[in-house]
Amino acid sequence: MSGPRGVTVEVDQLLLVLVSGVASGAIYGLMGLGLVIIYRATDVVNFAITSLATLGLYVAITFRDDGVAMVVSVIAAIAVTALAGVIVREAVIRPLGQGQLFSALVVTMGVSLIAESVVNSVWGTQPRTFPSLVNGTVRWGDAALPAQSLLTIGIAAVAMAAVAFLFSRTTLGSAMRAVAESADTAKIIGINAQRVARIAWALGLALAALAACLYAPRSGLAPTVLAAPLFRAFAGIFLGGLTSMYGAVIGGLTVGVLENIAASYVSASFRDTFVFSFTVLVLLIRPQGLFGTRTFQRV
Amino acid sequence: MVFTRSNLAKASLGPVVGLVLIALMHSAAIPAYQAYSVALAAVYAIVVLSVGLLAGWSGVWSVGHPAFFAVGAYFAAYGSGHQWPLELAILGAVASSGLLGAFLGYAGARFSVLYIALLTLAFSLVSLEVINRWTSVTGGDQGVVVSQLDSALGLGSIPSGGSEAQYLAVLAAGVVFAIAVFAKSTALRMRLVAAKAHPLVARSVGIAPEAQTALSFAVSAAFTGFAGVLLGLITGFVSPDTFSLNLGVTIIAACVFGGVGSVVGAVVGGVYLAWAPTVADAVSVPQPVVQGVLLITVLIFLPGGVVPFVGALSRRSLRMRGPRVVDGEHHVSAAPADSGDGASAAPATDRPATADRAPLLVVDGLSVRFGGLNALEGASLAVRPGEVLAIIGPNGAGKTTLVNVVSGLIGGARISGAVDYAGAKLTGTRATARRRLGIGRTFQHAEIFSELTVVENVLCTRRRVSVADRTQADELLARTGLADVADRYPAELPFGLQKRLDLARAMAEEPKLLIMDEPFGGLDATERRLTAQQIVRLRAQGTAVVIIDHVLDDLFAVADRVVAFDFGKPIGSGDPGAILQDPQVRSSYLGSIATRAELPARGDDTVAIAVRDVGHHYGGVAALHGVDLDIGKGAVIGVVGANGAGKSTLGRIIHGSLRPSSGQVRVGEHYGRPFRGSLVPEGRALFKTLSLRENLEVAGYAAGIRGSDLRARLDETAEWLPERLRGRLSVAAAGLSGGEQQILAVARALMARPDVLILDEPALGLAPALVDEVYARINQLARDGMTIVLLEQLLSRALTSCHQVVVLHEGRVAARGEASDPSFAESAELAYFGGEAASLLNTRDVSELEA
Repeated sequence: MSGPRGVTVEVDQLLLVLVSGVASGAIYGLMGLGLVIIYRATDVVNFAITSLATLGLYVAITFRDDGVAMVVSVIAAIAVTALAGVIVREAVIRPLGQGQLFSALVVTMGVSLIAESVVNSVWGTQPRTFPSLVNGTVRWGDAALPAQSLLTIGIAAVAMAAVAFLFSRTTLGSAMRAVAESADTAKIIGINAQRVARIAWALGLALAALAACLYAPRSGLAPTVLAAPLFRAFAGIFLGGLTSMYGAVIGGLTVGVLENIAASYVSASFRDTFVFSFTVLVLLIRPQGLFGTRTFQRV
Repeated sequence: MVFTRSNLAKASLGPVVGLVLIALMHSAAIPAYQAYSVALAAVYAIVVLSVGLLAGWSGVWSVGHPAFFAVGAYFAAYGSGHQWPLELAILGAVASSGLLGAFLGYAGARFSVLYIALLTLAFSLVSLEVINRWTSVTGGDQGVVVSQLDSALGLGSIPSGGSEAQYLAVLAAGVVFAIAVFAKSTALRMRLVAAKAHPLVARSVGIAPEAQTALSFAVSAAFTGFAGVLLGLITGFVSPDTFSLNLGVTIIAACVFGGVGSVVGAVVGGVYLAWAPTVADAVSVPQPVVQGVLLITVLIFLPGGVVPFVGALSRRSLRMRGPRVVDGEHHVSAAPADSGDGASAAPATDRPATADRAPLLVVDGLSVRFGGLNALEGASLAVRPGEVLAIIGPNGAGKTTLVNVVSGLIGGARISGAVDYAGAKLTGTRATARRRLGIGRTFQHAEIFSELTVVENVLCTRRRVSVADRTQADELLARTGLADVADRYPAELPFGLQKRLDLARAMAEEPKLLIMDEPFGGLDATERRLTAQQIVRLRAQGTAVVIIDHVLDDLFAVADRVVAFDFGKPIGSGDPGAILQDPQVRSSYLGSIATRAELPARGDDTVAIAVRDVGHHYGGVAALHGVDLDIGKGAVIGVVGANGAGKSTLGRIIHGSLRPSSGQVRVGEHYGRPFRGSLVPEGRALFKTLSLRENLEVAGYAAGIRGSDLRARLDETAEWLPERLRGRLSVAAAGLSGGEQQILAVARALMARPDVLILDEPALGLAPALVDEVYARINQLARDGMTIVLLEQLLSRALTSCHQVVVLHEGRVAARGEASDPSFAESAELAYFGGEAASLLNTRDVSELEA
């Protein structure tokens, strides 16, 4: 590892780790964004977001097995997941009423158990592969970067830009931010909070399904495969601040990069220890997260 | 910890049931394959109890308990491999779990519930990684065998997987439950629950929440570690799969299922955990589906869990013959269980001579700033022992800020000036310490601890509860007429009794200074009389009492001296009978505006909105009674009243965003469609993070306008805004001054093109020049033909800017008339201060209360 040649190899290696870290981070960021959108609009921490996305993944792979184009299958996955989300919200979250932060969280845990079990019994627990949208590598200098990682980063960036556009440039987005800031005032001026809630759930789950379709090619497909990225997305949104959409993305990216660095340079077995210790340390210094506002609630 | 007969009996139930189960297992009445499940249920029940009581008492939800469970199990495995005695394995497990738990509790105490969940989740994930790597002790994912543990104390040898291990688990669970039952009656638990339910109020009774989280987390973790040792012993094999995150989720499910914070609920939860797989098999549905469906069903239909639900059912049926529980309206049977001395409370003429005693509380030049807002500016006053000082003043005068400074419940403010109590400086003393100095406090909305019974609410002010304390508490409850409901939960009581409890809690340690925030608000005449009696009695005992309230006649009947506040400082003081004669005090309530605004002539007598016999109550608190009001098209109607008179409630009912509890609101029609109302809420309620344009846009969106129509409407409304706002449409609303925010709030309401505009105290918190500007704009709208309902605190302003004025007093229409009628002004003034009562103020004496 000495001499100029060794340094180049190390730099290439670092570049690879960073690209793969940003790609993972983009996935966590998308999931986190979905969680934050739902949380801001309805005060629900949606633990079922990835279980429902898993359902979408299996729908996609079924379509794909029937010979449907991969892009169409992914769109189907997103649509099915979003629809499932709206159904869950109408059927089991809405009856709970407003402000049931903890009950709602536990209900989504129940939904998650059921969704995973349904996937188990319909499609079985046998791991399968999930096809990439693209294959091969892209050469950049001496490094060969996986095309799927670059595509992941690209798609996630487009999706995030679309969300940013929705929230900052459209009236619907303003209405969603209004509900997030004060549900009471939104009600007084006549915003239909239920409609906003449904849109938020559909959007949040669509983002999670997209993230899942980008994650699955690397991990393969099994009923609980999305548990790990969900926990890292949680770490990301806590890091970024539970109520901040920018925070969710930046937190997710930080977690993704840290995790890949830890896996490559520290120990692959302690990647979560590394990520979570970092998150907890940051929170001890800044309890509201990097971008969050200080509104604490004890249940 | 108090050993009373009832909790001894309850506690002994645990070990007794344990022994019975052991006997049944031993005699094979419970077959061997079931005996294992029983033991497993016992172990799980300990874990569920640890997690559930931590959540129920401290409000801390942990998903990290599988890690403590694992610590215990691996201690059993390691101990059995290294010939440790049983006791050492248990000690090691309990000590290390306890230490880890204390650390987590300490680190997590400053976080909200979701963050603690993440912290414990992280802890779980990290321990799983450690378990998988530390193969020399844990065997990695291959697992490790537990053979047997011998007792050093001569309890024999416990081979793993055998009956002895099962008996041990069942008996241990019984003992743990007995401990939990005793813990339930300790002051520690009451203080934990109090701190969880209402951290701020808990400080006012001397409880500091932070330190207790670490302690309770440590104890909970230690018990789970102990359960882990038992698990190792009964299964004989330990592998990481057992302690997955799924277990953490399932334990929480079991807690919620049985009932959080309930000891019996934990048993139900443990049984559910141990048998859920069997049940799922029996109905041939996958186990997670059974769990998920059960969980969702319980949360939606029995939000408190199974056991509390059954408990409440049985309590209700037991109480059918008991005293009637009044829900909704708060009519209390006239005779409270007064213990005699109430009737002989010191008559007013025998007031202790207070003038010669040194003041107990002296406030000198006190100023409080919140950001750019001056809540108090150089306020000074003094109270002597045995004196009742009333503080009055309009909304926003700084009254609540003042009492919060004295009770130490103020944060994020810059405070200057001196507050001396009993000759020593009070500023800088922690809120929790002020209780010990003898400062008690009651709250406007009776902030009592809803998860504690009535008697526990009074007891939790003490660190340890002795038998004498209980007797004293019982006496206090008898004195305040709460003895009959001592073991009930506050939510089952009408609001009047809740306020009595709030007062009883404040009086529990016989404070030298009692601060009361609106003690009469929301009470009916009987309750108000009882409250007044309590205050008179406290004064007779030499307590200094400071009261702020808007119910002036009751207040003046008990007060020795009245200080009137406005704009953050005293503007006058004097005898209750004389204070309202002070012109400055008068005008702080009524205003002093002389010039009438030019109003449009009214020709059309179409009624836009008709309110008929409308009443409303929030929970048990009545806000409006039998209000009738016709809002004619093109009219400007003023609804005037002091704070709490029911203005905002009426406004929201007229607007249609609040459904009245009784009566009806008829909305007329014109141009073939109903009249549209828009509300400008009190305090503006803008979306502060949204820009000016977005605030308007969102209102248009809410009114169902889209696309180019919305843009056109936006441009039109922007034209209405003053020039200095029109140029700043993309600035966030938080950056506007108060007056600008008010104008924007009106513009936002105009986006829906309303026919009727309802304005809730548009002048609140604005400087006089800005008030004039806002009112000029409102007047312009009226002249352009808008129908306006103006909810106002200042009578004179309503009289000068409205066609008609309605005066509300305690939720009733006390006067109504044409604003231009000069004779109406006087009757409206009387009505404002309390109708007939106000005219009697000069002649009225406290002795009337005692009659």
